[in-house]
Amino acid sequence: MKRVYGVSLGSSQRDHAAQVTMLDEAIELVRKGTDGDLERAEAVIREIDGTVDAIGLGGIDVYLYARGQRYTVRDGLRLMEAAKETPAVDGSGIKDTLERDAVRYLATQTTLLTPQTRVLMVSAVDRFGMAEAFVELGCPVVFGDLIFSAGMPYPITTLDELADIARRILPEMGKMPFTMLYPTGKEQEDHQDTGRFQEYYDEADLIAGDWHYIRKYLPARIDGKWVLTNTTTSKDIEELRRRGATHVVTTTPVMGGRSFGTNLIEAMIVALSGKRPEELGHEGYAAWLERLRLTPRIEDLGGTPA
Amino acid sequence: MSDASKERLFAALDLFREKVNENARLRQMNRDWNRDIAVVAKDLVGVEASISMRAGLMEWQPQSAENPHIVLTAPADVLIGIFRGDSTPTEPYLDGSLTLRGTQEDVLRLDFVSLMIWGE
Repeated sequence: MKRVYGVSLGSSQRDHAAQVTMLDEAIELVRKGTDGDLERAEAVIREIDGTVDAIGLGGIDVYLYARGQRYTVRDGLRLMEAAKETPAVDGSGIKDTLERDAVRYLATQTTLLTPQTRVLMVSAVDRFGMAEAFVELGCPVVFGDLIFSAGMPYPITTLDELADIARRILPEMGKMPFTMLYPTGKEQEDHQDTGRFQEYYDEADLIAGDWHYIRKYLPARIDGKWVLTNTTTSKDIEELRRRGATHVVTTTPVMGGRSFGTNLIEAMIVALSGKRPEELGHEGYAAWLERLRLTPRIEDLGGTPA
Repeated sequence: MSDASKERLFAALDLFREKVNENARLRQMNRDWNRDIAVVAKDLVGVEASISMRAGLMEWQPQSAENPHIVLTAPADVLIGIFRGDSTPTEPYLDGSLTLRGTQEDVLRLDFVSLMIWGE
């Protein structure tokens, strides 16, 4: 049996363990949240290094992208480098392909997504493939990177401007403590029900991107809207149902009763392949994704479409 | 430290104000950000400045700020480097030579303002 361990800066309340089967291979999955404590996450990685087949780094990015430019998140790299023997991955190896494909799937295989769908993408530099796919489809998109990470009421509406702002900001921001840039630990359980930035939610049909950013200012009512995100728990789904969302779509499939982050899916691919991430490369990952035939998970929440 | 350092700090604040106020995109980004920011050069005794951000426009005065939302404290040369764009706030913040007191969101936003002007 393969063993994959997820170490996350996220809340330990989202911890879980599961055994899944992928391509007839049994995989034991364990997710360990460290409540925003970078030192603890590093210690856990050092402890399990060499004892499991792959490590997924959750609640943190190692690399961010905009228009072919890669930016490094210093704290993420520190965690990745803490694993000396076991390959550690943050999901960025598959995210571009997987999420681009998810948008295409939703546009061609469902009636949810059309070129007229107005999209609020809460953050795009952590999933630039998804951002490009929406733009290629012709959707009007608001990229909320400045709104959700820095509280600046500035909607970015083109990929060119997103890339320009990323070029100015990310080389330095990537050096800052990650906890300043992204909700970690207990912050992930908090919710600011203040109505702040509600206009951006109101003007969208689809709210897409990182779940913790989506939830950060999620209005009391999002009737008629749907959500495309990464990982959700049953509690998250109930919250969306209560607020009136019609559907929640996750880009990764459900295994053992919940969806897993791209970091864990990438770690599973690394474990199954027996190769290091740099040996797999973009083409290797794409081939594995093709074999796994992962499609988005669509859950009808019963809300009335707008 | 000399009067020359003080003059250089004030000239750097003039330049920073000019860059903030001439940047239409930055004015738009900061239209809701009304903040008073104290600038304290810890090696220049009695020299302080206060920055006022209102509706996206910046003004500054060579006097201490009353009840500031953010307090920036650093040696004059560090402050001069930041306001002139010779260095970013990140490294002095991380090495402890620049201290920033304020809410995390305000501190982050001030960093964004600097990077939107000088970042490349």
